[in-house]
Amino acid sequence: MTTTERRARKGTWARAGGTACAALALWLLAPAATRAQVRMTVPPQAEPMALQGATIHTVTSGVIENGVILFENGVITAVGADLDIPEGTRVVDATGKHIYPGLIDAYSTVGIAEIGAVGVSNDINELGDFNPNVRADVAVNAESRHIGTTRSAGVLTTLTTPDGGLVSGMSSAMALEGWSWEEMSMQSAAALNVNWPNPNPRRFGGFGGFGFGQQEDPPSYEEQVQQLKSFFAEARAYRDAVAAGEEVRSDSRYLAMMPVFDEGLPVVVAADGAAQINDAVTWAQEENLRIVIRGGRDAIHVADRLVAEDIPVILTSTMAAPGRDYEGYDGAYSMPARLHAAGVRFAISGGSGSLYSNRLPFEAGVAVAFGLPEDEALRAVTINPAQFLGLDDRVGSLEPGKQATFLITTGTPLDMTSDIEQAYIQGRELDMNDIQKHFFEKYMEKVRQYMRRVIM
Amino acid sequence: MKAILGTMGLVAVLATGAGAQQATRTQPVEGMRDNGTGFHALVGARVVTGPGQVMDDATIVIRDGLIQEVGGGDAPAGARVWDLEGLTVYPGFIDAHADLGMDDVPEGGDVGPTHWNPQVRAWFSTTRNLQDDAGRRAALRSQGFGAALAVPSQGIFRGTASLVTLGDEGVRDRVLRPDIAQAIGFQRSFELGGSYPNSAMGTISLMKQTFMDADWYERAWGAYEASGRAFLPPETSEALAALEDATDGDQPVIFETGSEEEYLRAHSLASEFGLDAWYRGNGLEYRLIDVLRGRTEPLIVPLDFPDAPDVGHPGAALDASLADLRHWYLAPTSPAQLSDAGVSFAITTDGLSSLNEFLPNLRVAVARGLEADDALAALTTTPASWLGIDRTHGTIAEGKVANLIVSEGDLFAEEATVRDVWVQGRVYGVTRPAQIDPRGSWEIASDDEWGFQAVLVLEGPLNRLRGYLDIASTGPDLPGGARIDLESATAVAETGRIDVRFNGEVLGYQGMALLSGSVRGDDFFGWTSLPNGADPSFRGIRSEPFEGPARGTVAMDVPEIDLPFIRPMMDYGRTSIPEQPAAVVVRNATVWTQGAQGIIEGADLLVRAGTVEAVGMDLDAPGGAVEIDASGKHVTPGMIDPHIHSGVSAVNESGFAIVPEVRMGDVVTHNNIWMYRQAAGGLTTAHIKHGSANPIGGENVFVKMRWGLLPEDLKLENAPRTVKFALGENPKRRQGRYPDTRMGVQEIIRDHFMAARDYEREWQQWEENQEGLPPRRDLRMEAILDILNQELLISSHGYRADEFLALVRLAEEFGFRVQTLQHGVEAYKIAPELAASGVAAVVWSDWGAFKMEAYDATVYNARILIEAGVVTSLHSDNSQIASRMNWEAGKLLRTGLTPEQALSTVTNQAAEAVAIHDQVGSLEAGKDGDFVIWSGNPLSQFSRAEQTWIDGRRYFSLEEDAAMRDRIEQERTQLIQAILSVENGGQNAQMERN
Repeated sequence: MTTTERRARKGTWARAGGTACAALALWLLAPAATRAQVRMTVPPQAEPMALQGATIHTVTSGVIENGVILFENGVITAVGADLDIPEGTRVVDATGKHIYPGLIDAYSTVGIAEIGAVGVSNDINELGDFNPNVRADVAVNAESRHIGTTRSAGVLTTLTTPDGGLVSGMSSAMALEGWSWEEMSMQSAAALNVNWPNPNPRRFGGFGGFGFGQQEDPPSYEEQVQQLKSFFAEARAYRDAVAAGEEVRSDSRYLAMMPVFDEGLPVVVAADGAAQINDAVTWAQEENLRIVIRGGRDAIHVADRLVAEDIPVILTSTMAAPGRDYEGYDGAYSMPARLHAAGVRFAISGGSGSLYSNRLPFEAGVAVAFGLPEDEALRAVTINPAQFLGLDDRVGSLEPGKQATFLITTGTPLDMTSDIEQAYIQGRELDMNDIQKHFFEKYMEKVRQYMRRVIM
Repeated sequence: MKAILGTMGLVAVLATGAGAQQATRTQPVEGMRDNGTGFHALVGARVVTGPGQVMDDATIVIRDGLIQEVGGGDAPAGARVWDLEGLTVYPGFIDAHADLGMDDVPEGGDVGPTHWNPQVRAWFSTTRNLQDDAGRRAALRSQGFGAALAVPSQGIFRGTASLVTLGDEGVRDRVLRPDIAQAIGFQRSFELGGSYPNSAMGTISLMKQTFMDADWYERAWGAYEASGRAFLPPETSEALAALEDATDGDQPVIFETGSEEEYLRAHSLASEFGLDAWYRGNGLEYRLIDVLRGRTEPLIVPLDFPDAPDVGHPGAALDASLADLRHWYLAPTSPAQLSDAGVSFAITTDGLSSLNEFLPNLRVAVARGLEADDALAALTTTPASWLGIDRTHGTIAEGKVANLIVSEGDLFAEEATVRDVWVQGRVYGVTRPAQIDPRGSWEIASDDEWGFQAVLVLEGPLNRLRGYLDIASTGPDLPGGARIDLESATAVAETGRIDVRFNGEVLGYQGMALLSGSVRGDDFFGWTSLPNGADPSFRGIRSEPFEGPARGTVAMDVPEIDLPFIRPMMDYGRTSIPEQPAAVVVRNATVWTQGAQGIIEGADLLVRAGTVEAVGMDLDAPGGAVEIDASGKHVTPGMIDPHIHSGVSAVNESGFAIVPEVRMGDVVTHNNIWMYRQAAGGLTTAHIKHGSANPIGGENVFVKMRWGLLPEDLKLENAPRTVKFALGENPKRRQGRYPDTRMGVQEIIRDHFMAARDYEREWQQWEENQEGLPPRRDLRMEAILDILNQELLISSHGYRADEFLALVRLAEEFGFRVQTLQHGVEAYKIAPELAASGVAAVVWSDWGAFKMEAYDATVYNARILIEAGVVTSLHSDNSQIASRMNWEAGKLLRTGLTPEQALSTVTNQAAEAVAIHDQVGSLEAGKDGDFVIWSGNPLSQFSRAEQTWIDGRRYFSLEEDAAMRDRIEQERTQLIQAILSVENGGQNAQMERN
């Protein structure tokens, strides 16, 4: 599509620029939109379906031109070019469209954070330094406005994640459709989150150069690392005591740590500076943990080690300010390309702000402008985070057996020059309305009413 | 290993000067009179009588505090003779900006009719408040100073500075020249209280208003007196009265400047108000050397050189910026650079964390290129001349005041010791000479049956003795032939004792061994304290004296690194301004004109002398034009952001709710890395806004991203004047300050609109009948009148529809139009009203929900506004986002806007929203030559800016960026290596000490 021939948006208003009078009159007289709701929750998939004629971007098995995707009971049953469509399947023509897996935000607060400066609307930071037992999913507000806008951007799965303290709690994998958190939760404890202490607390402070007053001095870096080690040692002792058949008193926090030791539950460690990342990796090796680095602004300085130890990184800030004046203006933009060239495995998350999971596609797209191959950018928001966080048996690519969670688009979801037209989550054909579209329809009606007053 | 030379206590007068004269003193003598002769002859010294003038083996005769004679003759009969053979005498130093700490803020604050603002203390007199600051004076004397200008330090208008002698005369005999200059600083004193100003631009506004008020005050009292006191007098203000001479240009005003920018701001203020300005510099003069070249206004520079950045481990080195590394390397060259540039400058002790750093740092400055004679002039003749005491001070000459420094060694090139300082004919001991020189080889032996024998070697300069022990004897505990380096060695000047310390391990002890001894000639009587508790005594004789200089020499030890002058002096700073070719033609691109020509594929853009000439197919270019092949590329106008906050020294003046008199244009900074990054992202013009703490904030400023220029040159020429308003949560959340509600926001704005009309009427009445007190110019009221007359366009922060509608209607009530609403998260809700009132909207693409009033955000905001016919722009309000506005515009594609409409929100509509569309925003003939060459569709997330041109000059290109990165990497590496190569780090890592 060239820039000058952009397709008119289906079912919306004619444009003001250069609109003929006749068209204007028609537009003014058009009946007001009368949507009953901002975003309706739809029932589970009731019949087998096939999408046909689209270019299917499987992520793991290449691109299929003019392909078919079959799904039933919320699960993909077949993907291919020349598939027989079983009888009783509802067939939807998607000719000329593209189908992509739903995007995954590996670090999100969608559902647990509503309005930034309104503290009571946010459930992110529990009190205390060690909260491995808290799980994000139980606090997810299924009616949050941000769920709709996030889905409209193509993000269908979030790792909704608590923060604060040294051990923040469990990320929950959430499918962004359902009547309640219970229905949405794909994995209540998907990863344990650790905030690696910061040896130099003023580095990386604030964005755009606006810092706020410094707070009371926290314990030293070394003290905090020691606290973290002590907590893990105590948790391990608790596990060993239980294994040895001791009758221990119950402890919610240590019990929550069991899957970390026994089941290889991923431990996501937030660390940005080179020294932080290095120290976090050393610690994880001592503790024999399955570690994922989150943040990773200096990851390129630790790349060799991350490759050698096969430690993946979740980048949180591909559109952030460069951390240092001498770094290029594109220091964050080009980080994915540089990590890719170095062989580091990484995912990209929508880290520009807790409420902006809807920007995830662009956080990945910017990396393409600065040297990352487009298919790698797509992997960084689909299969890579799914693998890092143990969800790749369900989401992250279009393969038989995985959930029917995908997008119908006019092009890559990573660029704003294409539109995301429809999304499916676990086979449910979503109502694509959201609060922002609702306001659009309502206030375009106001514009129409006022213009009629002027004309009539 | 530091030696203790006898450093004297606070004040030690060895000989009195002239006795108190009988006929010219007011105070009766209590008890017995003290009348020493005050008649001295200093003989045998090398005398540096002034910069560049030396007499060897000279005699200085002092009588009654004055120098009676300097020459080669013998001491006159009757004079007390001081044998200074081997010593050097310099004229006493003069500190032109000393902090004598005499203006502490009184408890409970100042009293009396001084000034409404507690930061305005122009009435404060250092003479009237002269205190017994004996400790401070002694400390200054120990660095060679005999006179100093005592400059007050509290507040913004700080009061008058007085020239004082640094001797121990009584308080009435210390003032040489009372209250000769007003002192002003850009930093307020929190102890003084008051809420306004609390920003850099508020401070400057207060300065301007105060100079104007001082002028008015004089006229108002004049009018009152001239009328025969026919009406009530004007207010009384000691501060305004005290500023009369300074305002009239009859008294110097000393500006204390903390940065390059503050120097430039002070200079501009001084020009505006015709002040006789002096400047206290800031150590960053090397960054402004081109501006300072040849300037003759007094500039007084400190010597507080920075410590080296921490590069001790890879993580720390990673964090060292080029700006900090360069500052460490270049700051000590400032004095030398000033001297080379012909700047009239003096050197001050002010700014040092300890006065003891003064002479060592002075030597660093000399080692880094300052000629010793120029250093001496900057401490003597230059300040003497400015301070009006060159008849009596600054050199050693007949008839001058006897202010002298007696030094062991060359003060400027060696670790010289100040022996005595003479002030007005009185001598003040600073350091007692060492009674012994213990250096050499000592054969020592214990007196007991232990049989310890060794050679103790002491060497190095006297003030930093070092040495070792060679064990001579062999026995059970005595490893003959072993050498033990001393941990420390010190000589006690007054008693002729030496103390050394060494590790006892070689001798088989766990711990330190102490050895102490008295030296008499070449004999040594010593005793020890060993780690095993034994304390054998020793005897020794000197077998060999030590041949070597008594003092350490000082030389530059940092490697020579070629650091070109760059501006700003930081990462990505430029060595020169990009040139402006006579013509530039960009060929065969997809050109988004954002004007009537629309988007043209395969077109050319011609820019001539910085201005767009044409866009079209196959344009003829003038000969010599710079040709750029842009096949496959897109070209757009330079982008415009109507709302950023980077590039200024402060953002909010929140001291009052209404502050339109403060100007962001007064506080633009060029040391702003974001400017480079924003240019790299295709931004060429920005509107830097005052913050949102006030219903009526300050005046905003437009800049272009001319990275590499000074603040004044960044400003967009012929730009309209705009003022910040703020509605909603921000202006009402400041505790204890009206307003607290949106209702109050509306009312306080209205009240000030009415106040300005009253002000206008009072002026008109006075101009008609000239009766009563003359009115004063009030910058705040004048700014509000400009708002009402639509000469100062409103650019209002706000979120909700209700508050915007209220402001639009209030303006209409007063008969004018609001230019633009900014942020406007709910602007879409009043789109028809805005269109009807001709108010432009400046909004975000998809920001919202970060606070309550931003909850109803929608990405369709711009779409609805455009559909309703509102001039609609995007903005960032964020430094990083301002560096990628094309992607913000791209987000609007998904709302159904056309690409041209989407791009208009960051180009032509953005320009129109803030009324600069006659200059910038589109590629049309006559507009500024500001354009961006993109790798592809500028609205695509996959495209990037490849070149950014401003005024027909290329301010960014990928190639130049890559070259700069290489240069930065090279300089950083060199500088980090330089720090690592110098022992100990820190500023004295600038010196080699032998």
